[in-house]
Amino acid sequence: MNGVMNGIKFMVDMYVSGIVYAALLVFVAGFLYKVYFGYYKTPQPLKIPQTPQPTTLGGVIIRMAGDVFFFRSLSKGTTLLFMAGWVFHFMFFLILIRHIRYFVSSVPEFVSALGNGAMGIASLLMVALIILFVRRLIDKKVNYVSSFADYFALALIMGIVQTGIMMHYEKFRPNIVEVKAFVLDLMSLKSPFLTMIMHPHSSPGNSLFITHLSLVAALLIYFPFSKLMHAGGYFFSPTRNMINNAREVRYINPWDKG
Amino acid sequence: MADEKTADEQHSEGSEANARMQELLKFTKIKPKAVELTGKIKVPDLKPNSMLEVKPQLLTVKEMLEHLGYPADGLVPNWKEVFLKKMDEILKKYRSVRLYMDICVKCGACVDKCHYFLGTGDPLNMPVARQELMRKVYRRYFTLPGKLFGSRFVNGADLSEELLVMWYTYYYQCSECRRCSVFCPYGIDTAEITMAAREILNSVGLVQKYMHEIIFKAQTIGNNLGMQSSAIVNALEFVQDDLQEQLEMDDIRIPVDEVGADVLFVTPSADFFASPHIESLYGYAKVFHQAGISWTMSTHASEGGNFGLFIHNYEHMKKINKRIWEAARDLKVKRVVGGECGHMWRVLCNYSNTMWGPFDYLDPNYKRPQHICELTLDLLKRGALKIDKSANEEFTVTMHDSCQVSRAMEMGGMPDGQYEIPRAVIRGVCHKFVDMPAETIRERTFCCGAGQGLLGDDMLPTRVKGAMPRMQAYYRAKQESGVNFVALICAICKAQLSKMFPTYGLPMEEVGGVHQLVGRAIVLGAKEGV
Repeated sequence: MNGVMNGIKFMVDMYVSGIVYAALLVFVAGFLYKVYFGYYKTPQPLKIPQTPQPTTLGGVIIRMAGDVFFFRSLSKGTTLLFMAGWVFHFMFFLILIRHIRYFVSSVPEFVSALGNGAMGIASLLMVALIILFVRRLIDKKVNYVSSFADYFALALIMGIVQTGIMMHYEKFRPNIVEVKAFVLDLMSLKSPFLTMIMHPHSSPGNSLFITHLSLVAALLIYFPFSKLMHAGGYFFSPTRNMINNAREVRYINPWDKG
Repeated sequence: MADEKTADEQHSEGSEANARMQELLKFTKIKPKAVELTGKIKVPDLKPNSMLEVKPQLLTVKEMLEHLGYPADGLVPNWKEVFLKKMDEILKKYRSVRLYMDICVKCGACVDKCHYFLGTGDPLNMPVARQELMRKVYRRYFTLPGKLFGSRFVNGADLSEELLVMWYTYYYQCSECRRCSVFCPYGIDTAEITMAAREILNSVGLVQKYMHEIIFKAQTIGNNLGMQSSAIVNALEFVQDDLQEQLEMDDIRIPVDEVGADVLFVTPSADFFASPHIESLYGYAKVFHQAGISWTMSTHASEGGNFGLFIHNYEHMKKINKRIWEAARDLKVKRVVGGECGHMWRVLCNYSNTMWGPFDYLDPNYKRPQHICELTLDLLKRGALKIDKSANEEFTVTMHDSCQVSRAMEMGGMPDGQYEIPRAVIRGVCHKFVDMPAETIRERTFCCGAGQGLLGDDMLPTRVKGAMPRMQAYYRAKQESGVNFVALICAICKAQLSKMFPTYGLPMEEVGGVHQLVGRAIVLGAKEGV
């Protein structure tokens, strides 16, 4: 009996470590490949800032920061979409910061401070996701342009948030100390190699935790192949990142240097 | 698949496909209907396929097609190959297109922003849906999952004749005005995608007539109207005589090809005699005359407009633009000034320097090149023009921001100079100026409905529907503030709106140029403060 249990434990450990490393590899390699070869290396022949665009580099950075942090362009349109979208992204970001506590031995002040509001943040995040999902279903115009991939991305993140929220409750809660120890184990340099030679670290035996982790891995693997690439892509958008000074400074077309 | 067939088989299949395509894209005349003016811009319900029938005419003149480097006999037999090769080339040459294929999240911020969608309700006129026509092909043929698992897996589309028809229809219902990209969180520019799609269609042999005829004329003859240089000289002489007679002055001139003038002035050829364009030409001449600036027009660069911009074919645009810089060198001018035109100004201001710069032979004290509104405002500020605003007393003026001017470049070196400078010029020559509703002007301006290659008469149904938002906004300003004149800085806007105003039941005389107003208000003769 003990042998069987050990066997199952080994397989679970292998699975958990395996998907974490596989997902990270696909995510990092895919993301960098796309950003470097797809966006950075592809030439932009002409200056196409979408004006009014600042005429200085500083101004452009401020404009882009406005887009990144406050969704300034989006805020010019539908308020509901802007609010739901911004709350979703910003709460997601806060939750990510909160997760730092699993990755460092001594938890910084601001991370532990977030703990008090964590449930509130997660609930807001979930509400925003539900609004975005429902909006896709009932707004006829948005519904027309939505496809499976759009619902899938939302559903995947909803799954991650939901399993995260559930783990807050005593009944489903994994042993936090075990989780942290496991995450720190995974972060050691030799761990991927240990996994490769079938010596995985012991993982917390909590099915909800494993589900949560699996969904995150799925998201990371899906990321580089999907619209989620907007995260890196935005910074290369020529309508946003080009300085509006075509008459002052001659812009050279990379494939027609004249 | 194609390798297994003999060349003959392929060819006959190809000509059958071409015959089918010609039938599918056959031009049908549809009587355009204007909606009633209420002053409100309502977001319509979805009316799928409501604009599917509206297709522009195809160019069939072999000489023109050959000159432009496009297939001369309609759809080429191996069109799928050519299509993908061209698309691949564009994806590798234009970061904009490559990136925008990838990063759209279909959030829907743009769905109700396009004037063609607002006017038609056709869901494929929603910018994101228009982009999806190309993205489906991109996902199928240019992404790893698409290549591995096919179009169903990635929600893509295999190349088909139906797809070509959709592309040809809906990429010619986009005026590349960039209004959608204002609201896009990532600045995705449908114009870039439309330009790419049009060039891909061209490469397989589906070439739109109106726009490409003009590109041909601009490259071979030198202007969009195809006027020979003798005709231009005659036309401008006629304008000059007219002006001299009107003003009873014999020293006001419209100089042509005068070597050593300070300013080379380029403007759309429509300004030479179309109405209301010509009124602005009078205005330019009066400004130069009164300011004592020696200027000249050129028969070689007799066109400011550059339709090469409307497709991702860099060579076309570059060739047309070249004439201006050749003329500038030949006439040994110190400055190049551009007249009232939207896309012309975009190419002149944003792209000239890249294509034909650096302009170290021009006077570095002035912006190179310069917009006529920049020049006029500078003169007004310095008091170099004597103005009698009461000449425009009958007008309550509003201004329609042209799409390419307001969303594609600056004026005066300021981020929002393109809004402020023309308005300052208008305020400098008129007592009464009122803006249209805020969501329809400045960066959010609506296209006139005929920009970027859609001004042909075959596109009238699209033009009438696309003009709706602008017409409603104007009507509202008219109701609320008694506006009775819309000032324009674009030749296409002038042509379109002077046709749309009567169509919507408004007087045609309410449309005109900014320099039409300037021209009326200038008091000639008395020279002060120069």
